[in-house]
Amino acid sequence: MSKSLTVFVVDDDQAMRGSLKWLIESVGMQVETFDSAHAFLDAYYPGRAGCLLLDVRMPVMSGLELQEYLGRREIRIPVIIITGHGDVAMAVKAMKAGAVDFIEKPFDDEQLLNSIRKALQYDEQHRALHARKAEIAARLAELTPREHEVMAMVTDGMSNKDIAAALSVSAKTVEVHRARVMDKMRADSLAELVRMALIAGGNL
Amino acid sequence: MKFPRISVKPTLFKLLRRLPMPVMGILIGLVAGLAVWIVLDQVQSKAVERIFGRELSMRLDLRARESLIRFDQYMANYAATTRLLANHRRLAQYLEPLFWFPGEIVDPVVYAGFRPFWLPDVFGRNALLAPSHVLLVDSRGLVREVYQAGDQPLPPELATDLGQWLVDLDEVQTVLARFGDRPFLVVSDRVEDASGYTMGSLVVLVPVDAAFLAASEGSFSADRSAVALIDADEQRILASNEPQQLIPGTLLSEWGDEYLVTSQSLPAYEGSNWNMLFATFIPQDIVEKMSSKVIDFERNQRLIAALVFIAVFTLVIYLVSARLNKVLKRMTRFSQRALGIEQPGFKGGGNQLVLLEEWMQHFTSLVLRAREEMRRKHEHELRETEALKAAIMEASLDSIVTLNQAGAVIDFNPTAEMTLGFDRERIIGTDFVHAFVAPSDRANFIGLLQESRRRGPSGERPHARTELRAVRNNEQLFPIEISIVPIALDDEPVYTLYIHDITKRKEAEREIKGLARFASESPSPILRVNGAARIVYANAASQPLIAAWETEPGGPLPTGWCDQVRETLEGGETREYEDDLGSTIYSLLFVPIQELGYVNIYARDITAVRRAEQESRQHQAELVHVCRLSTMGEVATGMAHELNQPLSAIVNYANGASRRLKSGQDERAPLIDAMAHISGQAQRAGEIIKRLRALVGKQQPIRSVVDLNLMVREVCSFVEFETAKLEMQIEQQLAEEAIPVDVDLVQIEQVLLNLVRNALDALEEAAVGERALIVSTRRLGDRALVCVQDNGPGIPPQRMDQLFDPFFTTKDSGMGMGLPISLTILEDHAGTIRADSKPGAGALFEVELPVAMREAGITDAPDLQLIERPRAEGTQG
Repeated sequence: MSKSLTVFVVDDDQAMRGSLKWLIESVGMQVETFDSAHAFLDAYYPGRAGCLLLDVRMPVMSGLELQEYLGRREIRIPVIIITGHGDVAMAVKAMKAGAVDFIEKPFDDEQLLNSIRKALQYDEQHRALHARKAEIAARLAELTPREHEVMAMVTDGMSNKDIAAALSVSAKTVEVHRARVMDKMRADSLAELVRMALIAGGNL
Repeated sequence: MKFPRISVKPTLFKLLRRLPMPVMGILIGLVAGLAVWIVLDQVQSKAVERIFGRELSMRLDLRARESLIRFDQYMANYAATTRLLANHRRLAQYLEPLFWFPGEIVDPVVYAGFRPFWLPDVFGRNALLAPSHVLLVDSRGLVREVYQAGDQPLPPELATDLGQWLVDLDEVQTVLARFGDRPFLVVSDRVEDASGYTMGSLVVLVPVDAAFLAASEGSFSADRSAVALIDADEQRILASNEPQQLIPGTLLSEWGDEYLVTSQSLPAYEGSNWNMLFATFIPQDIVEKMSSKVIDFERNQRLIAALVFIAVFTLVIYLVSARLNKVLKRMTRFSQRALGIEQPGFKGGGNQLVLLEEWMQHFTSLVLRAREEMRRKHEHELRETEALKAAIMEASLDSIVTLNQAGAVIDFNPTAEMTLGFDRERIIGTDFVHAFVAPSDRANFIGLLQESRRRGPSGERPHARTELRAVRNNEQLFPIEISIVPIALDDEPVYTLYIHDITKRKEAEREIKGLARFASESPSPILRVNGAARIVYANAASQPLIAAWETEPGGPLPTGWCDQVRETLEGGETREYEDDLGSTIYSLLFVPIQELGYVNIYARDITAVRRAEQESRQHQAELVHVCRLSTMGEVATGMAHELNQPLSAIVNYANGASRRLKSGQDERAPLIDAMAHISGQAQRAGEIIKRLRALVGKQQPIRSVVDLNLMVREVCSFVEFETAKLEMQIEQQLAEEAIPVDVDLVQIEQVLLNLVRNALDALEEAAVGERALIVSTRRLGDRALVCVQDNGPGIPPQRMDQLFDPFFTTKDSGMGMGLPISLTILEDHAGTIRADSKPGAGALFEVELPVAMREAGITDAPDLQLIERPRAEGTQG
C-alpha cells in the first residue's frame, strides 16, 4: 500500500476519533481526523488519494450530507459510513448514494480494517483507470479528424478495403493513416488499440 | 348677363312668368351671341386687315428684293466671265507680240460677224446671253480692237465715255450705262500679255433688253409679275422682261392701276450716265385675291366662335335652371310640410327665378306673422312669470333680497323683512353689506358676489354659496346660509340673494358634533364601513388597524372581511370576530345599521389576553411533549446511542492495543495512553447511566382529574395510522358516563398506548379481516377498569410469569421495557395491571385505577385537542 494513501476520519466525538486513529494506525496506515464535515472540506483537496470514514450522526452537516455534497462536486473518494444502533435506514441511503461500505457501532476491528483496505484498493484502481483514460484522451487529441475516423473504423473491426471504400480513398492511403494512428496512440498491436478505444469509451 | 327683374312692367312680367328658364336661356344666348359676333366682326376685321396689309407689303417687298438679287447675281456672272476672258491664255498669247504706242491715232480693228482668236466662246457655256460687243482697249482708253456680234455698230457715245469707267484697273468694273434709249451692261477688266505686262482693258458690252431681263429672272415670273429697268428722272420704262405687256418707253404712271410697282435703286452699278431704278410689277388682281382669301378664313372662324359661345352659354343657363328646378321642388315639399303653404305655381311650371322670389316674399310675410304671434305669447308668459315670481317671493321661507350692481337693496320679500328685522320704508337703496353682514364676514361676502359672476368654461356658474353671520336690528349676530345668483339684465346686472337663517341648524350640528366626538375620542378603533366594505369613517385610534389591513379611510377592507360585512348587514345581528395581525390581535364587533346600509366595527386590542392564553397553552404543550420524550422508550433509544459511543471507543482502543502488541510494536508510552483512554471512556459510560437514573428519579407525576373514556379515545386516535395499515378498526366499548380518575395524564396514556401497541403488534400475525381489538371501560364502585383485548396469537403459558420482568421481550426490535414500566407507573397511581391469554385465541390486559375522589374538577381536557400529535414512535418498547 502506497505511503500517500490516507484514511480520513470525520466524527464529532473526540473519543471515537482518537480510538479510530489508534486502531487504524496500529496496522501502519496513515490517518487524519476531523471533528466536522467542514473541517474535512477545508483540509481536503480533490485528488488526494485515500478513503473517507464518516460518522452518520453529526451536528451542522451530517455524514450523509457530506457524502451527497462530495457526490455533487464529483469528488470520487471512496466513503465508508459508520452508523449507530438501529440506523439501518440511513445505512441503506448511504449505500445507495455510493458508499463503499457501512459499519455498525460497536464494530469488529477486522471487519473495519478489511473495509478500509478494500476502499483504498478501489481508490487506487479508480485513479489508475482515470489516469489511463486521461493519457488516452491526450493521445486521441493528437489525431487529425481523418485519422480519428480511420481509428473508429479500425476498432469497429472494418478491414482496410472496407474503410477505403467508405472514405472513398485508396487502400494505400488507409494504410498510411492506420500506421500513423498506431504510432500516435503508441499502440503495439490492434488489440491494444481496441482496448484503448474501449477505455476512452464515448470520447472516441 | 341680365336677368329680368320684378320691377318691370306687369305685361312683360307676366310674359316672363310663363317662360321656363331653359327657353329663356336659349333666347338670351342667341341674342347675346349675335351681339358678340357683330362686335367682334367690326373690331377684328379692321385689325386683321391692318395686320394683313403690313404682311402683304412685306411679302411684296421681299419678292421685289428677290428679283433684284437675281438680277444682280446675273450681272455678277458677267463680271466673272469677263475676268475669265481677260485672263485667258489665248488673249495673253495674242497680246505677246503686240505693242501699242501711246498717242498713236489708230482706227480700231473690227471683227464683225466672226470671233477673233483671242475670244473663246465662254458665254454660251455659262448660260449667259452673248454680248453685243467685246473691245480691247489700250492703257490710255483707246479702242484698239472690236468684236461685233450682230449688225449693231458700236454706240458712238461709248468711245467718249469709256475713259471714265476704266479708272481702277485692278478690279472688274461693272456699270449699267445708257446709250441713247437703250441701256447696256458694260464690264471691263485689265489684260496682260504672256510676260505679265499690262496692255490695257477688255470691255464687254451687253444690251439690257427683254431677253436679258427674262434670262436674269429665269422662270420666277409664273404669277404674271414682271421686272423692268426705269429711268428715275423720266419715270419711263427702258426695258422689261414682258415687252408685250410693259411696253418700253411708256411712263411708269400709266401702269399704277394695273400693277403694284416696287422700285429699287442699284447703287453698286452707278457712276453711270443716268439715274436707274429696278422695278418689280405685280398685277393688282393677284394681290387682291390673296388678301380676300385671308379675310374669308378669318370670318369663318369668328362665326364658329360665336356659335360655340351661344352653345356654352345656353348649356350653362339650362344647367342652372335644372338645378333651380330641383331646389324649387324641394322647397315646395318643404313649404307644404313645414309651413303648410301651397305653391301651385311650381307645379304649373314657368320661370323658376320669379317663382322663387314670389315664394320668398310669401315666406317672409309668414315668418313676420309668426314672429309677431310669438312676441304676443312671450309678453303673456312674462306677465304670468312676474305674477308667479311675486307669489314665490311672498311665500318663500327663505329671505330673498335683490341687490343692484353697487350692492344696494332694490327688492326684498316679507321673510327677509322679518329675518333681518329692518325698516320697510328706509330699506330700499341701503347698502346691504354694511347694514346686514357682520363686519368680520364682509370681505368674504364681497368676494362671493364677484365669484358668482364668473362663469365656468362651459357656461355653468360657480356655486356661490357660503355660510356667514348676519346682523339683525343692528346688534344681534346670527348665522345664515347665503346663495347668490347673478341676473344679467340688459342695462345692469343685479344679484339675488337667498338667505336662510341657520341658527337652529347650527345648534343641532354642534350637538351632533359633540356626540360624534365619542367615537373620535375613543381609545379603541371604531370604524364604519358601507355595504361594499369601504371604510366610511375611521377614528384616530384605528390608525394602526387600518395600516395593518393595508388600506386607508375611504378604501376597502381586506377581501377576507367583505363577506362578514355583507353577512352582518343581511343578518341584522351583531357579530363578533377576531383578527390576528401577527403583532396585534383585535376583537372585532360588527354592528349593522341596516337603515343606512352601514356596519359599525368596534375593535378591541386583545393581544395581551390572547398572548397570555397562547403562552400558557404552548407552555403546557411543551411540557407534555417533554414528558412524552422522557418516557422510557425514548430514554432507552437515547441511552443506547449515548452508550454506544464510549463502548465503541473502548473496543477500538483495546483492539488497537492488542494489534500493536501482536505485531511487536510494544512501546509502552502509547499503550499506557490507550489504557488511560479506555478507562476514561468506561467512566464516561458510567456517567451516562448515572445521569439517566437521576433523570428518571426526578420525575414528579402531575396529577389531574381526567375522564378515562377521553384518554382511551385519544390513545385510539394516536394509532389510527397503524390500524389503517393493518386494515382494521379499534372497537371502543366505553362506559356511558364519564369515569373520573386522578392521574398523571401523560403517564397513564403512555400505559394505555403501550398496551394497544402490543396488541396491534400481535395482530400483525393474524389474518387480514379477522383482526379485532376491543378497548372497553367500565366502573366498578370506586374502581375504574380499562380492558384491551385482541384476537392475536396470544401469550404462551410459560411466558405469562415473566411478562412483567424487565428486558423480557418477544419482539425483534423490542427492549422488553414496556410492561415493566407500565407496571411501575400503575403502582405509582395505586392501580394494578393483569394479563390473561388463551394461546391462539388472543390476549387480554386489564388496568385498574381508583376513581377520583374530587369529582367536581373534571377537566374537559379541551386543551388537549390543541396539542400537537404525540410522535408515533414515542412508546416503542
